[in-house]
Amino acid sequence: MEHPGSSGAGRSGDANRAGAHAAQVRALYEAHHRALVAFLHARLQSAADAQEVAQEVYVKLLAMGDLSHVDSPRAFLFRMASNLSLDHLRKRAVRAATPTDVPQDAWHESPVPEQHASAIQQWSVVSQALRELPAKTSRAFVMHVIEGRDFAAIAQAMKLSERMVRYHVSHAMAHCRERIEGARQP
Amino acid sequence: MTAIDPATALGREAADWWARLREDEPPQAMIDAWLAWMEADARHAQAFEQVSALAQALQLADASTQNQWRMEFAPPRRMATRWLGAAALAASLVLAVLGWYVAGRPGTDTTRSYASEVGQNQDIRLPDGSVVALGAGSRLSTDYASGHRRIDLAEGEAFFTVQHDASKPFVVAAGDVRIEDLGTAFNVRRTGREVTVAVTQGSVRLDRPGGKDGAALVLVAGQQARYQPGGGAFTVASVSAAHAAAWRDDRLEFVDEPLSTVIANVNRYSHRPVQIADSRLGALTFTGTVNIHTIDSWVSALPRVFPVQVSRFADHVVLSSAAR
Repeated sequence: MEHPGSSGAGRSGDANRAGAHAAQVRALYEAHHRALVAFLHARLQSAADAQEVAQEVYVKLLAMGDLSHVDSPRAFLFRMASNLSLDHLRKRAVRAATPTDVPQDAWHESPVPEQHASAIQQWSVVSQALRELPAKTSRAFVMHVIEGRDFAAIAQAMKLSERMVRYHVSHAMAHCRERIEGARQP
Repeated sequence: MTAIDPATALGREAADWWARLREDEPPQAMIDAWLAWMEADARHAQAFEQVSALAQALQLADASTQNQWRMEFAPPRRMATRWLGAAALAASLVLAVLGWYVAGRPGTDTTRSYASEVGQNQDIRLPDGSVVALGAGSRLSTDYASGHRRIDLAEGEAFFTVQHDASKPFVVAAGDVRIEDLGTAFNVRRTGREVTVAVTQGSVRLDRPGGKDGAALVLVAGQQARYQPGGGAFTVASVSAAHAAAWRDDRLEFVDEPLSTVIANVNRYSHRPVQIADSRLGALTFTGTVNIHTIDSWVSALPRVFPVQVSRFADHVVLSSAAR
């Protein structure tokens, strides 16, 4: 960065401030990296997307001015991650709604892969777990986790409060996890 | 008092936090509380990450499994409510449809025929104490002449729990296939000439009396054999007891089966049979579960999985290739 006319001392002061800012961002990012990625993974349902958005958060923070006036840098970090992940989810929803020509033909051509049967066995634990739950609970869960619909949309479709939808989803998730663990250690 | 074990309790906490953070805009106070929980114990973070990983794995499950979940647990609402009405009506009628029973041919009192109605499973207790659970839309006859026990499965599906008696072999004939009990519970499904035998207890001996090879095969609990007329030999695979006779719990389960076979079996449970207009469609492979109480919505959802369109008529449904 060139600032014609600025003094040598001034440039070095800018550089110091910029260096201090980068160091601060880096320290903040490293201190909360695991939690940040966990937060994003939970929201995005994709470890790769979580890493990508975490990088985006980091780059945005670097590009920002001084953070010393921010009350809680950590809160700021997660708010930014929350907003960026929401943007990411919305872009993804738009992409999913855009029709493509591929799937129909692919059905004829792709033979059922070998690992299919064993995957079915594995997923049958989940199917069974979902059958053990009240219909509303497994319905909300499939709509949210598989179909990717947000709590508000499910609440509207099922005529429930968002809080109840969240409760059903969390309950089903815990139950599936228990059943999978149970199947792993007979 | 039943105490919840710590691992279960932790899993529930983790799932609860996971769901909270999936709100569109989680409040700052909630994020702070979550961070405090994450930092309180290394196991918290680990359990939380496991929940996220499971959510991701579920979203990455193969398309046919996901479609099965959608069809079984989140079918289109309109269909679901309409079916509920129909189910309530059916229940209120309390029809004790037992399937008709026909006495044997004149002159023999050892032969009996049974046929179940469409949509109606039926239990049959045989004179020797063996029990047959006959699937809907199925027909079989029994012949208990002295010295032997013969069952002929003419159509459909049946689950046999046999009182073993080596001196009186219990033999089931299903088209080209002959199944002899060796101390057993087993399921036989016949779709035209195609036969699938699954053993849940003990073992059976399978052979094809008319076959050139004459090869016999012993099938043990946890195994399934499929016979297809042009295919020759039996194809053996492993099978869980739950899958082998899932139909007894109102679920028809299929793994890699031709759509034509799937539809033929679903039709045994549907008063509005499905016809496949285009034979190419019948060859498509289907894996999934059909709940016999939601056949209507399952059929409606087929175009999401297959390149088909569904046309409904008063007494039948036609599946044809989707127009491009």
